[in-house]
Parts: sequence; C-alpha cells; structure tokens
Amino acid sequence: GDSWGIFTFLCAALCNLPALPALNCSEELGAGQSIQQTYDLTRYLEHQLRTLAGTYLNYLGPPFNEPDFNPPRLARAERVPSATVDLDLWRGLTDNARLAANYRAYSRLLCYLRVLDGQVGTAELRHRLAHFCASLQGLVLSIGGVMSSLGYPLPTGPAGPPAPSGAPVASNDFLKKMDDFWLLKELQTWLWRSAKDFNRLKKKVPPAVVTLRLEARGF
Amino acid sequence: LIFPALSPAADPAVISPQDPTLLIGSSLVATCTVSPDFPLKAEDLYWTLNGRRLPAASYAALGPSTLSVALARLNGSRQQSGDNLVCHSRDGGILAGSCLYVGLPPEKPVNITCWSKNMKDLTCKWAPGTEGETFLHTNYTLKYKRRWYGQDNTCQEYHTAGTYSCHIPKDLALFTPYEIWVEASNRLGVAVSDVVMLDILDVVTTDPPSDVHVSRVGDLEDQLSVRWSSPPALKDFLFQAKYQIQYRVEDSSEWKVVDDVGNQTSCRLAGLRPGTVYFVQVRCNPFSIYGSKKAGIWSDWSNPTAASTPRSERVTGGCDPKAGEQNTTLRRELKQFFGWVKKHAYGCSNLGIKLYDQWRVWLQKSHKARNQV
Repeated sequence: GDSWGIFTFLCAALCNLPALPALNCSEELGAGQSIQQTYDLTRYLEHQLRTLAGTYLNYLGPPFNEPDFNPPRLARAERVPSATVDLDLWRGLTDNARLAANYRAYSRLLCYLRVLDGQVGTAELRHRLAHFCASLQGLVLSIGGVMSSLGYPLPTGPAGPPAPSGAPVASNDFLKKMDDFWLLKELQTWLWRSAKDFNRLKKKVPPAVVTLRLEARGF
Repeated sequence: LIFPALSPAADPAVISPQDPTLLIGSSLVATCTVSPDFPLKAEDLYWTLNGRRLPAASYAALGPSTLSVALARLNGSRQQSGDNLVCHSRDGGILAGSCLYVGLPPEKPVNITCWSKNMKDLTCKWAPGTEGETFLHTNYTLKYKRRWYGQDNTCQEYHTAGTYSCHIPKDLALFTPYEIWVEASNRLGVAVSDVVMLDILDVVTTDPPSDVHVSRVGDLEDQLSVRWSSPPALKDFLFQAKYQIQYRVEDSSEWKVVDDVGNQTSCRLAGLRPGTVYFVQVRCNPFSIYGSKKAGIWSDWSNPTAASTPRSERVTGGCDPKAGEQNTTLRRELKQFFGWVKKHAYGCSNLGIKLYDQWRVWLQKSHKARNQV
C-alpha cells in the first residue's frame, strides 16, 4: 500500500530531473535556450490552436467543421500569408531568411486574428481567441529573440496587414467565413512547419553556445 | 475544378438574397446565378444547407445559368453565425454561399437586480426574456439615468457577475433615485425591459467580515467562540452592521444559522458535539445607513474557518499505534534519502521532505473527493 505510493511519487519527481547521473543545471542563456523555448512555444500553440479551431469551426457551422472540407481559395484570400510553399524551396533558404519569413508571417497572422477577436459572437470564443493571441504575440517576440541571439537583424516594415492592393475585404458573411477558415488553416500549417524549422535549427547551433556541465558521480 | 484566370473582384457565382435575416417559420426562395466567365449551366448546379444536400424537387431553373431553391417553414438557425446555404457545381466545388439568419426578435429582459459595493459602484444583473433562445446573437445594453434629469447613460463593463450583468464603476449619486433598464437587440428587433427605480443607498452591500477567528472556550467540549472584525470599508460611512453566522460539522453539508448576532463582533456557539471539527462563516449586512431603518444586502460569507471542540482525554479504539510508528520510520528514511539526493544531484532537484508532505495532503484530499462523489 504505502510503499507503492512512495515509489510512484519518487518516479514522478525524479522524472523531472534533467537526467541522471548528476547534472549541474545552470545552462548559459544563449541561442540554444532561445531556440528551445521557441520550439516549445510553437508546439504549445499548435496544441492550443487545435482546440480553438475546433470551437471556431463549430461556431461557423457545417460544412466548415467537416473534416474533409476544402473550399476554393479565391483570389481575395491571398492576403493571408500562405505556408504552402514548395518544401525544397523552403529548405533551400538560409536560416536568416526562414526566421525572417516566420517572424513576418506570424506578425501578420496575429493582426488578422485580432480583427477576428473583435467581431466574433460568443463570449467563450472571444476568451479563447484573446488567450491565443497573447501566446502568438509571445511567439513573435521569441522568434525575434532567436534572431537577435544569432546576430540576425529583425525584419523591418509594417507589422500590420498590407493595404488591400485591389483585393477587397470579404464583401459578404459567407466569404468572410471562408476567409476565417483559411486563416486558421494557414496558421496550422505555419505552426507545424515552424516546429520542424526550430527543431532543425536546434541541432545546427554550435555547441559552444550551449553549456551543460556533466559530472558522473559514481552512481 | 479549375478556375480560369480571375480578376480579383469576380466571384464564380452570386446568390440572392445574400445574408438575409428571417423570422422562424418563414419561407425563402434563393437563386444562384453563375458568372458569365464560367462554362456552367443551371443543370450543373446543386444546393446544400449546413452541409446537407437539398432535394432536387425544390429546385427550379430560372434561366440558362440560374438555379433557384425553395425553402419552406425555416427552423431557427443552427448556429448564431448563420445557416450556410451553398451553391455547388456538379463535382462538389463551392461557387457561392449565403448566411441565413433565422430566429426571433428578443423578448423583454426581466428580473433586474442591482447592488452597490460600499456605495461606490453599482452592479446589475438580469435575465433574458425567452430563456434566451432567439437563435440570433442578441446584444444587451444596460442604461441608467437620474430621475428627472434628462441624460441616458450606458453601462460599459459587461459580464462582471455572469453573462447577463454589467458594472457601473463610478459617478453615482447618493440620495438620488435612478431609473435603470436593459435593452435587448438582435437582427430582428429590439425589446426594452421595465424600468427599475432605486436609490444606491437602498441596495448597499459590503465585504464579508475579516479576521474571523474560531477558538475553544477553555475545556468546554460543546462550545466554540467566534470573533471577527467589521469590514474596513464600513468605517467610512454612518451605519450599523448586523451579522449572521453559519456553521456545520466537517462531514455534513447542512449549515446551522445563528441569526440574532446583532452588531457585536463576537459570538459563542453552544450545544456542539465534542471532539468534532466545525467550519464557521460570518457575513455582514450594513443597515441603517445614514439613519434609514432599511436593511442593506447581505455580503458574501467569509472564507470558512475551522476549529475543533475538545474531547476529554480517553483511550479510544481505532487508533493503531503500529501504523503510526511505521509512518515515522518511513518518514525518517525518506528524509535521509532526500538529503543524499541533494548532495549528489546538486542544484536542480526540488525534492525534499516538504514535497513529500505536500503530496500526502494532496493524496488525502483526492481520496476524500473521490469518496464524496
């Protein structure tokens, strides 16, 4: 009875230690840490988005919340930054270019989401959206942090959505629903791809930037 | 489906009416007209409503590239964002859509109740007329004005005490009758509640009493003494406070109320069971504000304070001395283990005997919660 409980408690607590044998946990806060945090934040946002998108698409109603729904992407929907770019092309970019693209994309996506927040119907949705926007804002800042720690300049230019260059804002409620659908879809793809980007970047960062002192202690 | 090159403004088709608002039970004929740039005919089209295909029997071709659909006796919208009526090409592609808002106009909001915290603000709540189901998004606006003074004011801070509530934080006059009402509006109309008239001084409440202490009365097995302080905000205004105490045995959900506490800040509970843990709460009512004889509104109850009545020292069964011993040996060993862990996995472990103790408390609580379900 009691001893089994103790055992599980210890297992749970020990699992929170970075690793055995003994470790000194003081890592230097450098690019490595930044990248890890950004990666973690991306995964967290991916998870949050699943719930948010589920709720929002139910609010839009069928067919938007059907699993195989794939409406046309009309010319007007081009204002949302698209993540569906050739993967080889994407991998061929420099780290700087990829990071900058991520930074710009999330800044714009954040703007569109905030507009959504102002118009949406139910209190529950508004609450979820607000929470998500706050986390997404954190991601933009985190990416900025990574770029700084790697010595890259932050992308300049307007943070908001570009002025509608001929493509008008959705002119009716149904088109707006389709825009909202694509916004969430693109966000999902961006986050999925960013996670991979940051994972790869983690491995590239030179070991000198991350210090972990390992000392075996006759375990 | 491959779309030919488009100018940004051209949609594949146009639906009429676009995003209409309708009363429940009404009928609708909608038309889908394909843009001349598209090689589609009326017979290549079909309709869906909220993802469900509509029967071909309800269609009619009104022209070479225009198909209509007749919808009869519409039900309230499935979602507040509108029902999705969509015009498709034969292969399922979406050509155009229209959001149908089908519902009812709002009913008068009812049961407006308000209270003022320490005469500084006013919070009101209300209930929607028809249990709220209008199928359309309904906006509520709380308005107020001083009687005999012209200007209407609108409350800004909503949802402070539940969905149908609003909070007015400042600029409220005392000794002044106010008129308060709620307007409900949606796409189909507006409804205004009856006007409630009140003076802020009629609906004053305050914080619960602070520093509630419950202690034993010497060795008396059946009594406990309760002491508290009057809420600090009350010393700012001229009033009298009356108090109420409620208490219950730890394992019971039945509260006993002591009503005749008056305006003292202490009370003795008697007739209690010996050796029992009691939970006690106190609340306050600011009455006779500025000399009026009216009662205010009771505050929330204070957080429960626990105390136990003494039990005379007798050896009772059910206390296993061996188990107690085992516990202390185990605990001692754990303490030693953690000391060792601290030395060898230095810096990053939060392990310690404290964490173990917290875990035991949590374990007990979760066992209790499970047993109570």
